[in-house]
Amino acid sequence: MGTACGKYAIAGVGVSRFGKVPGVSAMGFTLEASKRAVEDAGLEMRAVDGLLAVMPAAIGEQHGWAARVAAYLGLDPSFCTTLDMGGATACGAVHVAMAAIEAGYCSVVLCAFGTQTWPQGVPLQLFGSEFHLVYGDVGAICFTGFIRRRQQFEYNLPDELYGRVAVTCRAHAQRNPEAQMRKPMTLDDYFHSRWVAEPLRLFDCCPNTDGGGAIVVTSVERARDLRQPVVRIIGVGQEHRAEVIVPTGDYQELWGGTGAARRAYASAGIVAADLDCAQLYDAFTPRVVNDLVAYGIAAPEELDRAFARGEFTFGGRLPVNTAGGLLSEGHLWGFGHVREGVRQLRGECSDRQVADAKLCLVTGYGGAPHESPPTVSYSALVLGRD
Amino acid sequence: MFTLEKPLPRGTEDTAPFWEAALRGELRLQRCRACGHYRFPPAVLCPRCSSEGYEWASLSGKGRVFSWVVVHQSQYPAFNEDAPYNVAIVELDEGPRLHTQIVDCPLEELTIGMPVEVVFEKVREDVVLPKFRPRRRSA
Ligand SMILES: [Zn+2]
Repeated sequence: MGTACGKYAIAGVGVSRFGKVPGVSAMGFTLEASKRAVEDAGLEMRAVDGLLAVMPAAIGEQHGWAARVAAYLGLDPSFCTTLDMGGATACGAVHVAMAAIEAGYCSVVLCAFGTQTWPQGVPLQLFGSEFHLVYGDVGAICFTGFIRRRQQFEYNLPDELYGRVAVTCRAHAQRNPEAQMRKPMTLDDYFHSRWVAEPLRLFDCCPNTDGGGAIVVTSVERARDLRQPVVRIIGVGQEHRAEVIVPTGDYQELWGGTGAARRAYASAGIVAADLDCAQLYDAFTPRVVNDLVAYGIAAPEELDRAFARGEFTFGGRLPVNTAGGLLSEGHLWGFGHVREGVRQLRGECSDRQVADAKLCLVTGYGGAPHESPPTVSYSALVLGRD
Repeated sequence: MFTLEKPLPRGTEDTAPFWEAALRGELRLQRCRACGHYRFPPAVLCPRCSSEGYEWASLSGKGRVFSWVVVHQSQYPAFNEDAPYNVAIVELDEGPRLHTQIVDCPLEELTIGMPVEVVFEKVREDVVLPKFRPRRRSA
């Protein structure tokens, strides 16, 4: 693995309008984001010859979503397919894009995503497995609550830690005019927010977000001729597994994503200490706790003090989720995280710019934790300034 | 808005025997004939050894609470009137972990590791859900 690493670059990133945006279809968001990403790269749309489109989960089972996106974009791609790794798709699509270019199938790949979270005004995640939903175990929130309780039980982690994750992300959102949740938050505010699924409070959860995101991948050589400073994809990693309920019964480790981390760092030839910033998948606060441990950034026992000392904010050891994360900016299935990582390395983040950022980790996490067995994918990118 | 009813299990070829056993007041899971692994969720292949052979083995119904949450606001409206309610993962003595609910236990008394035993709750004439209650004395 990793032969493609270092040869390809993210040449463009874009997002659509996002937040609570009723009346726009998933396709509408996909097209908006796509146009902006291609423009960001300084390309004409017709230069795109590879298309990876993310199936919007809310739509349910349909065939040929990517071909439909291609038709709307007026493309004639030589490589075109629909992907789904849930929230792991943004990083995962970049892996596939690199592989497709490396194989010679295409040269400029657009990875495109859009979702309308509440298309009919009712929650759509109703499909869960017969072994969960019948007990009122609905969606990713219960699953994340199970995980957090095990984290706290096994490592004696305080509730404050999760509050500090939320407060840190919210503080970063102050520096991001696009973030949805910008009202300043204290630890006290966190503890006064209502329960959703105890031990998770409202502020442990990211806001539901309508919108889209897109990424343009091409060779480093091609990217050098384009509009933006080159952001090189130097490492990738994936891991796919059934969590908590384990079909083989063999897997006992609490921290998920250690395999993705190992593969990402090995392909990049780096260690965690080399990173300058990290965009960690934070649909819920326990995911940040998980990723800081799984990606070798900190030991569980030191996390609460490290957050309290500001080690994960600007000026600290490793600023994380510099745009406010999914928790505050919004939940574009990780496309926002890839965009923020790219922008940090380009040096275009003004108020929230990490000084001299050369290496950024971006993680993704997603799947079907509300199905049986609860299966999730971890994906990661290590991005580097050229 | 829609009014939604609580979903009930609709067994497939693989899973129906689990629910049929529950209706008879038994907790049964597929046990691999080749390697002895208990398959949960039920399926045609053993995830450990890929063998197809299995039997529907009877389980002790005893286990411990592995984790749980207290749902205050369900994402599925049919459960809202039950809130706050728990959903839990129970690790059975034989190894498998089931999603379930703990009954006969105040929410504030739930703990990780609490010994529990299966009970069968009839939710419709033809549907029984395995749930778990605290084991008061070790058996
Ligand atoms: Zn077997």
